[in-house]
Amino acid sequence: MLVPSSWLREMVEIEAGDDDLAEALTLAGLEVEAVEPAYPWLNESQVARISRVKTLDEERNLSVCTVETSSGEVVVVCGAPNVREGMLSAFVPPGTEMPDGKEVKEAKVFGVNSAGMLASEYELLLEGDSSGIFDIAAKYPSARVGQSISEVTGIEDTVFEIGITPNRPDCLSILGVAREAAALFHSSARSPEPQINGSKGLDSVSITIEAPELCTRYVGAEVDGVRVAPSPGWLARRLLACGVRPINNIVDVTNFVLLELGQPLHAFDLDTLKGQAIVVRTAKKGEKLVTLDGKERELSEGMLLICDGERPVAVAGVMGGLDTEVTEKTNNILIESAWFAPSSIRRTAKTLKLPTEASYRFERGVDPKLQKTAALRAAELVMELAGGSFRGIRDENPVPFSPPRVRFRPDRINRLLGTQIPSQEMCKILSRLGFQVEEKDGSYETVPPSFRTDIKAEEDILEEVARCHGFSKIPTSSPVATLIVERPVSFRPFLNGVRREMKGQGFSEIISYSFIGPSELKGLNLKDEDERMKAVRLMNPLAEDQSIMRTSLVPCMLSTISRNIRRRNLQLALFEVGAVFIDKGQGVIPAEYQRCCAAMTGRRFPKSWAWPEREADFFDMKGAVENLLLSLGCRDFVFEPASANLVEPFYEEGTQLNIRAGKSTVGTMGQIHLGVAKAFDISQKVFLADISLDALSRVVTAGKVFAPLDRFPSVERDLSIILDDSVRAQEVLDFIQEKAPQGLVCFYIFDVYKGKQVPKGKKSLGIHFVYRAKDRTLSEEEVEAVHEPLQEAILKEFGGILRG
Amino acid sequence: MEDRLRSIEEEALEAVAKAQDREALEKIKVRFLGRKGLLTNILKGLGSLPKEERPKVGKLANQVKVKIEHVLGERLKVIESQAGPRLIKGFDPTLPGRALPLGHLHPITQVLDEVCSVFERLGFSAAQGPEIELDFYNFEALNIPPAHPARDMQDTFYVDEKVLLRTHTSPIQVRTMEVMKPPIRIIAPGKVYRCDSDITHTPMFHQVEGLMVDKDVSFAHLKGILTHFAQEIFHRDTSVRFRPSFFPFTEPSAEIDIQCVICRGDGCRVCSQTGWLEVLGAGLVHPQVLRNVNIDPEEYSGFAFGLGIERIAMLKYGINDIRLFFDNDLRFLNQF
Repeated sequence: MLVPSSWLREMVEIEAGDDDLAEALTLAGLEVEAVEPAYPWLNESQVARISRVKTLDEERNLSVCTVETSSGEVVVVCGAPNVREGMLSAFVPPGTEMPDGKEVKEAKVFGVNSAGMLASEYELLLEGDSSGIFDIAAKYPSARVGQSISEVTGIEDTVFEIGITPNRPDCLSILGVAREAAALFHSSARSPEPQINGSKGLDSVSITIEAPELCTRYVGAEVDGVRVAPSPGWLARRLLACGVRPINNIVDVTNFVLLELGQPLHAFDLDTLKGQAIVVRTAKKGEKLVTLDGKERELSEGMLLICDGERPVAVAGVMGGLDTEVTEKTNNILIESAWFAPSSIRRTAKTLKLPTEASYRFERGVDPKLQKTAALRAAELVMELAGGSFRGIRDENPVPFSPPRVRFRPDRINRLLGTQIPSQEMCKILSRLGFQVEEKDGSYETVPPSFRTDIKAEEDILEEVARCHGFSKIPTSSPVATLIVERPVSFRPFLNGVRREMKGQGFSEIISYSFIGPSELKGLNLKDEDERMKAVRLMNPLAEDQSIMRTSLVPCMLSTISRNIRRRNLQLALFEVGAVFIDKGQGVIPAEYQRCCAAMTGRRFPKSWAWPEREADFFDMKGAVENLLLSLGCRDFVFEPASANLVEPFYEEGTQLNIRAGKSTVGTMGQIHLGVAKAFDISQKVFLADISLDALSRVVTAGKVFAPLDRFPSVERDLSIILDDSVRAQEVLDFIQEKAPQGLVCFYIFDVYKGKQVPKGKKSLGIHFVYRAKDRTLSEEEVEAVHEPLQEAILKEFGGILRG
Repeated sequence: MEDRLRSIEEEALEAVAKAQDREALEKIKVRFLGRKGLLTNILKGLGSLPKEERPKVGKLANQVKVKIEHVLGERLKVIESQAGPRLIKGFDPTLPGRALPLGHLHPITQVLDEVCSVFERLGFSAAQGPEIELDFYNFEALNIPPAHPARDMQDTFYVDEKVLLRTHTSPIQVRTMEVMKPPIRIIAPGKVYRCDSDITHTPMFHQVEGLMVDKDVSFAHLKGILTHFAQEIFHRDTSVRFRPSFFPFTEPSAEIDIQCVICRGDGCRVCSQTGWLEVLGAGLVHPQVLRNVNIDPEEYSGFAFGLGIERIAMLKYGINDIRLFFDNDLRFLNQF
């Protein structure tokens, strides 16, 4: 809501300056978001002397003017007939936004560079004619070059930009803000009192309300014999300062009263209404109306309409129809001032996608007692500005307004606020706000003023008391609270544990949008029957590439990697912890799973003297996953080559491992398929792990168990065997596990070698064995007795030979 | 012989004075005092001198020896104090360390944790809820019926008529109150979504909301808790301002401003010359919201608050474009 200071001060007397006023309003809940000059173009344009005039184009009456300004001489092309040497006029510099919304620009006119413009009073929205440029000295003989036009004319104002919360529709008018200011500064607001005879009835037009629950009141006022013309400068300026474009004196008056009092009005050209009738009813199927903006609107059933004797002439509370609008030819007008049900107007404006100043106020709630005053006020102003005579007014009010009565308990208010405000003070606050307060035997009841449609219950009274007493005067204290042992379910500690461990391994956390584009999901090559193809689609996405909810973190990760590589961030180790969503059908919440996706690409370590340069590889990623599982307390896990029932199409074939912990598969890892990487515009190898944190959290819930430290020394053995290259390490390890003799406590692969001394198609595998007993020192012979057969068994099982 | 000793002494003193390092002093020591050193030779040759000269020369030679040892020691101290500790040949400790690449937690995670921990110290526990919610939990249960203009305050992404992306983490409050009975003290951290995108808005962002419901919880308590919070997160002396506002699920509602962290209240671009920055929304829980979850507002009262983590992070770190958080450029992430 834009509120010009001068207008506000006409309606309430306040001594405080603009800044103090703004602060007081802000601290009472009417947040003043900005205080700006009302007519910036008047501040930016200045008095200039036309020192030379040279004809540029006689036919078009264009001349080149040299103009003296505060910042030196400027050349301007001017087409005004009254331009002459020595004249003082208004110079508008380039970059100024004019009242019509156009910006003044430097331009070449017939080869001459015109650096600004000379403006007429009309163009500047000043009172005066439009036939020529502003002859300043004629009106202001003492004007000097360089003075701003606002300084010379004394037309200057500031505008408060106030954020009005949805609960305060009563403040969507100058009067409403004035009432608030009056309550805060112990002053009183002056509401305009129309001087015309409000009891003069109207029988030229009938008014029928067929939907009284949606239109509780409809007031029509007729003014005959008006002359439609542009509004005078003061009115145009005021509208513009409030962000409303001036149109003509009749429409401008309806807008003026809307801004002044908060009652949306509409003016019909009475002679275009058929059957001398107004009918308020809901739309029937298939009805249409061309609205003021020239667009044909399909009206849906139930929308509230204003009709004449034959057809719809306005969408009630939203916009009037084109056929019945006020034009230059209009003689007689009917001013509509009505009360419409908020939810109906809101629905209509939403459906038609046509939010207007009127619908904005109706859907929030207009003062139900304001209609007649507003209609009379408008009629009075129309006669003042456009002439004509008042024919009469008709007030149909099938559902009269009955104000609520609200009980309140001062002691409860004080208890909830933590204050000790005397009940007398509360009553004073309320009556300053226009509430009637009654006290009977210590119990309090109020009747809020009709414009306070938001006041319904005790908590509303509490809020009024609190904000007018001042939040700053409410004490600041610490609660004395009960210890709470019960804790809500929260996955956060576990997720944070995962984040910490990944960070500890040198991975950086990313957070990407939960929405992705269908093409990103498609990039993973998932099969149609994969549940991750069932993405939740948004009805109103911002863009197609943010239109579905992610079903996997993998596309987010690949897009992030791609973006970083494009920016030459080539060494990447990233992870994300977040939710994915699987659609479960209309009207139900989708399944939501927490996952962790980690990926590495590019150099493993930064280029350094300290280690040889190398690319990150599969085993770097695998090691990171192993460490993650271990650090979370998961000991019982294995990596299995992908089996037919869980093959991810986005890994290179043969690189996928399924991570099994306990009995469940908690995730997969592998090298991203080169084709998939390419779909994300990545041309380097990416190693990635995709882990279900829901599954993982279930297998790591068992606590840690201490094992006593070894007391006796171990006996260790190394075995190097040459095997067929096709034998997988895991097969060998599994075999050893299966055959493990007593005393073998630990074994692992310490070397893999291919090349010199190893035949082609073979590899050498080095395995380290640790033997130990719990109760004594094992002898070499004891170990040999079990190790030898194990060694033989391995060789036999895999057709290996000992490496010499 | 005495002259010879004198000249040895002079020569030694001069060499010591010129010596620049430990090695040079060592050489001088060997040259003069070593087993085959000049002075040692003289002492060894004392026997060949006439008997009467021996004590005199011997004494003088000893004096010279002591003198040389003394200046050697002094010079060594000087050199050591200038040169620092001895270096090892071929070992250059000034090479950069073999540092493994550091990982970084996203700044949002860090600030979220910091915010949560302030409240956790005050006995609030984290609760959770789904990011894709029912209209009922996101709006209706929070006193925002379908055709309410307050719905315009939050531009909502809809999945269908009944399902939407939560626009705040308040639904968690409702879900928690459905299963827990007062006293309740929870915080609800998480992602929220609104269809809005520009330099200060992203369609996804993070919130922490809090809720306290107990007997006799008052607005004064709300002020106490949130003032404490703002001073913990920003600065101990941060001024805090409570302004009336409107949220359908609280009444009275407040917006909370802190003194601008950039200009300390003098007015600057960041605070639009007001000296204040809005960081929190809060209020006493609306009785209707309590009734909706079968808590009797006559018996219990409560307050709720909410804040945007991105906003706090931007103020804390001086980040000027909110979109950077979800761009995930490594050069950005590595700064935190």
